[in-house]
Amino acid sequence: MTNRRTRLLAALLFAPLGLVALAGPASASGESVGACIAEKLEHLIEEAHGDVDHVVHELHDDPTIGDNLEKECIEAPSPIIPELNEIIWGGSAFLILFVLMVKKGFPAVKGAMDARAERIRSDLDAADQARADAQAVQADYEARLADAKSEAARLIDEARGAADELKVDLAARADADIAEMRTRAAADIESQKAQAIADLRAEVAGIALGAAERVVQSSLDAEVQGRLIDAYIDEVANSDG
Amino acid sequence: MADHTVAGYAEALFAVAAAEGNPAAVEDELFRFAQALRSNDELRSTLADQGVPVFRRQQVVEDLLDGKASATTSALVSMVVGAGHAAELPAIVDAMVQLGAASRNKAVATVRSAVDLTVEQRDRLAAAINTRTGREVEVKVVIDPSVLGGVVTEIGDDIIDGSVRRRLNQLRESFR
Repeated sequence: MTNRRTRLLAALLFAPLGLVALAGPASASGESVGACIAEKLEHLIEEAHGDVDHVVHELHDDPTIGDNLEKECIEAPSPIIPELNEIIWGGSAFLILFVLMVKKGFPAVKGAMDARAERIRSDLDAADQARADAQAVQADYEARLADAKSEAARLIDEARGAADELKVDLAARADADIAEMRTRAAADIESQKAQAIADLRAEVAGIALGAAERVVQSSLDAEVQGRLIDAYIDEVANSDG
Repeated sequence: MADHTVAGYAEALFAVAAAEGNPAAVEDELFRFAQALRSNDELRSTLADQGVPVFRRQQVVEDLLDGKASATTSALVSMVVGAGHAAELPAIVDAMVQLGAASRNKAVATVRSAVDLTVEQRDRLAAAINTRTGREVEVKVVIDPSVLGGVVTEIGDDIIDGSVRRRLNQLRESFR
């Protein structure tokens, strides 16, 4: 930016020099050609001692004299130094142009340059922003990917833990069921044994009592019956109710 | 049968027995017949069978009691069977016995035994019950072979069980 501005200023400074160097040729002596020729003619007339006719006659007879006069008066302009009027005009035009350039052109160019710089800056900022956004999105994606991976790992761990728990639970329940069945079977066996013993005892008692009843019946003759009744009567009489 | 019917027949039987002059003997004969009726299902169903003509059933009664009971007793049983209340006869006789005992200011002691009691045993038992409960009782004996031996006495709701059957049952219980 600074480099470009320096080059612009240098161009503006060298412009007047170029104008001076390229100024067109002008008369060398600063006087007109006609006045020079008139001066030469006047000198010839003096050489001829005022005889004008003679001079005209000579000029007429020898045309080279006129040509030489012209050649002597017409000199080549200076290749370096311009005519004064050209310097004035050229310098004025340059100054006007310079002022115009300074007042109008430079601000316009500067504005355009600034706008362009601003646009480029904003473009660069936008690019930076876009890059930052892209990086943020990438970071977000990476974070989500990491989250997803950790989530997947957690789920797998959870599933594995749940499976282990289920396995342990099932094993414990199976053990408990087996123990309960064993206990119940033992209790069943015990109760069946007790029932069998009770049944057997009742059976034995029934048989024994049946036998006893038959023995009692056979032994209860009239005499025994009479004694039983007498004993009953005595018992009733001797008890107090 | 309603209670008032039983009571009505009982009063009628008691009044007839009293009118005939020997209520205690008639009561005793009726009581024995009622016990026989209780223990004999076939006899009870025959006498209560409405399909059998009344005179046939009454004939059965007279054949059974002929020579074993007084004419009054036989006539009273025939009357109840003829009225169609043979099934209720035991209840009627029980109520009549209660009425008779009450008329003599006594309670009825129903004595179940495998064998009959002698008169002396009955008197001693009545005296023993009097000693024990303070009540005058008339002893009515029911022959019940299931008692096996000994005696079971029922006076109202009181039971004095001295039977061999009870002792066997106690023995059975002790085995359990």
